[in-house]
Amino acid sequence: MFSVILYGRNDSHGYNLHKRAAISFNAIAEVMSDPDDEILFVDYNTPDDHPTFPEAIHDTLTDKAKKVLRIFRVRPEQHYHLKSKTHLVALEAQSRNIALRRSNPNNRWILYTNTDMLLVPRREEESLSEILGDVPDGFYQIPRFELPEMLWEAAFDRRDPKGNLTKLRDWAVRFHLNQVVHNFMPMKYDALGDFQAALREDMFAIHGFDEDMLLGWHCDSNLAARLALYRGRVDTLIDKVFGYHCDHTRVAAANNKGRATRMNDQNRFIWDVSSPYLPEQADTWGWPSVEIEEVRLDRETSYERFTSGLAAALDPATEPYRSTSLDWHLYSDLSYDIRHTLPFVCDQVLTYPRSTAVMLVATRAEFVSRFAVAWQAMGFTGPILVPTECQRLDTNHPSIKTGAFSELVRMADLFIFEFGLATQNSDEAVRIGRPESPVDKKSLKTVAKLFAAAASEEAETRPNGRRLPRRFIGVNVIYNKFWPLFTDYIGANINPFCSQVLAGIPRQESSLKGKILKFRGRYGV
Amino acid sequence: MRPVVCIGAVGPLIGGWRVSGEGIVAQLLKVLREFRLRGRNRPIQDELAHDHRHGLFLRARALARFGAFDLAAPLFGQAVDMDPTFDEAWEGWGEALDALGERALALEKYEMARRLRSGLRPGAPDRHFVLRQRGHFTAEILAYDAVVRSLAKNTLPYLARGNAYLATGQAEQALANYERALRLKPGVPEITALKGEALAVLGRYSDALQAFDAALAARPNDAEILGGRAIVRIALGLIEEADADWRRQLRLLQGKPSACACVALRMADYDAALPQLEQALVKEPGDPYWLLYRLTAWRRLGEPFDATNIPAIDAWPGPLLALHAGRMSVAEMLKLANTDSRRAEATFQLGVLAFAQDPNAARSHWQEIVDRSGPSLIEYAAARHELVRAQSSNAS
Repeated sequence: MFSVILYGRNDSHGYNLHKRAAISFNAIAEVMSDPDDEILFVDYNTPDDHPTFPEAIHDTLTDKAKKVLRIFRVRPEQHYHLKSKTHLVALEAQSRNIALRRSNPNNRWILYTNTDMLLVPRREEESLSEILGDVPDGFYQIPRFELPEMLWEAAFDRRDPKGNLTKLRDWAVRFHLNQVVHNFMPMKYDALGDFQAALREDMFAIHGFDEDMLLGWHCDSNLAARLALYRGRVDTLIDKVFGYHCDHTRVAAANNKGRATRMNDQNRFIWDVSSPYLPEQADTWGWPSVEIEEVRLDRETSYERFTSGLAAALDPATEPYRSTSLDWHLYSDLSYDIRHTLPFVCDQVLTYPRSTAVMLVATRAEFVSRFAVAWQAMGFTGPILVPTECQRLDTNHPSIKTGAFSELVRMADLFIFEFGLATQNSDEAVRIGRPESPVDKKSLKTVAKLFAAAASEEAETRPNGRRLPRRFIGVNVIYNKFWPLFTDYIGANINPFCSQVLAGIPRQESSLKGKILKFRGRYGV
Repeated sequence: MRPVVCIGAVGPLIGGWRVSGEGIVAQLLKVLREFRLRGRNRPIQDELAHDHRHGLFLRARALARFGAFDLAAPLFGQAVDMDPTFDEAWEGWGEALDALGERALALEKYEMARRLRSGLRPGAPDRHFVLRQRGHFTAEILAYDAVVRSLAKNTLPYLARGNAYLATGQAEQALANYERALRLKPGVPEITALKGEALAVLGRYSDALQAFDAALAARPNDAEILGGRAIVRIALGLIEEADADWRRQLRLLQGKPSACACVALRMADYDAALPQLEQALVKEPGDPYWLLYRLTAWRRLGEPFDATNIPAIDAWPGPLLALHAGRMSVAEMLKLANTDSRRAEATFQLGVLAFAQDPNAARSHWQEIVDRSGPSLIEYAAARHELVRAQSSNAS
């Protein structure tokens, strides 16, 4: 019957964002009763190495919410072409249109709202699907009622949507919450963007939201103006459903800078709108030709993919624990436990697109073979690019593609550099003072050289169309002699030794040291 | 509720007069309040004074916004007594009753408003979106009137108010609003096109053609503007030029079967219309017009069909379907054709039914439509094409 369209980003939008979003997702799912109903969340521009916002809060969502939720992940690379035109990191019009284009065509209605709303049917036994199923074609809005921050924060249980809706029905009366704020036409009510129900067919006819609105604010008013023109009137569902907004004014939103807030031009986008249509974006709205990843929380979750990958690549441990050491005299010992380290490496890649091409430059054959098994079992479809310069590696796995480093570097979306001892066996004790053999030295020299070259030439060797820096994952680069090398080139955080893994993007150093490093990396000096 | 409690509290101070909730002071305040409202809304009232039900609606709305729902509710009721199809008054009544806590009664009124709206068939899908809108738009006119007073230099309020007038057939007022908007933003093609539509409704076809030409110069691929110009061109007797517009419109509307069907029917191009009508019926199987027009196409193309499969539908255009099925006489059908557009539809179908046996009778039916109907009707353009075709076949 209806597709609810929401958008957001996995960032720090207020200290209680996670709570109100979970309350809202669960409450919206609770009032759905048609098998075609869906919540479409566009996760816009979350960093590649983070999970999407709903994934980050999945444990607080009900099974019903997880079942109806479809997440469309827009990568930073896909946002890049708009980056210079806006100060915002998440774009409403683009997000909502991406979801609209991909919404279930069986659904008659599209409902635009936000991740801090609770929709309460006035007849308890009625669902929103039934309500929307019964009303004639039109463009519907409802007034937004405000819910003091203390109430929802302190009294709502995020995993009890039914209980929350019951509490709201009580509070509405007890605390006089229901105040209708009328507004100029075509807006009809204040804060109209928290409930705008339009026919899916109408939204396609008018070419979605206006994607020129890049500065934030008034996207809802623009939509109201255009749909009011198209339909001739703005209808109300005030007799059927009340909408409550989880007030969140203690911490201002990212696009709210008080009087200094930058906004879309109200005259252009509201008061001088002359047509519901946007012919300039008729063929491009919602990015129809762009492949947008879809993530589900009820199937093939990140956790399932992660555990599948590791289960395929590793047997369970047979001992209660194994040991390593940080003793200063072991600084040069590059032995490490692959079975312990592999989960941390997989953790670094899991949030990337499944089509990612990863370059793997390694010393240990075991690392390559185990990683390849895990990679495939985690559902990645992109190749593992192994340069032929790395010798003694097993490259028979079907996911592995070999070639000259200079050729493969231009195909890679992500890099893994592993600094281990080529001659180390998996059952050896680690960090007990193992010396490097000539074979180890040769392998390490190759990896170090290719690493410096890849990092220093990263910007020049990006695949066609790629504009953002690629991420480098260093394996076994903490508290050993490759720690300084890795962090000279890569802006990595300080990580616990136990993970053995560091990651980041190449440093943009304009200092003399940076220039020297770049020169050395580029020319293998 | 009205603030009668406060009024009651001052009772003992005025000479021992017992003032109840319905007492003298309350009534005095009520009169004052209404007087004040009348003064505030004078311009709108003047505009709507000619129509008493709109006047009632206006007063009721104003009272409701002042919180006087108990005063507003009966006025809404009177408005719907005068015009039971007044959907906005039903909705306003529902809102007033809802605010008064009369939930069950309120829901009935809201439901009535929605039932009325869902019973309205939108205008032809190949026409401008404003001309597809149906119903009362009194609330919109009032609302944009208020916006105009605050934002006199922006076009949207004039445009929206103009559209509300145009959709309710008040083309003079619509034109005035579009012209005002164009003075603020000269040359905006979308507003110029609407001006053309208003002029066309007023029968000022040459002026309308000029407006459409100007709009199309800026928006050459706008299917709605092309459709508007085609209608004006055919009204002016420029059939070939109209067809050129419709053919372009048809190309632009690909993927919208009902709209394509309408364009093809206007050109009396039944070969093109038939597959589009079949698709329209898949999408909207309950729309009797697609059934009727498919029958029209079948008959005009000489294709066989089973008349026993034609469904029986009471509401218009059910009688036309019954006529095709042989279940209703011409006289009975014509009795039910009680509006200008229904009469035109009926006359066109009489031509279609007569053609196989008596082409001259068919032609006279079609000529009647051209003489008496408005050019925006599908049947008008189709009739003109049929007549041209008959002329050329006679000539050859």
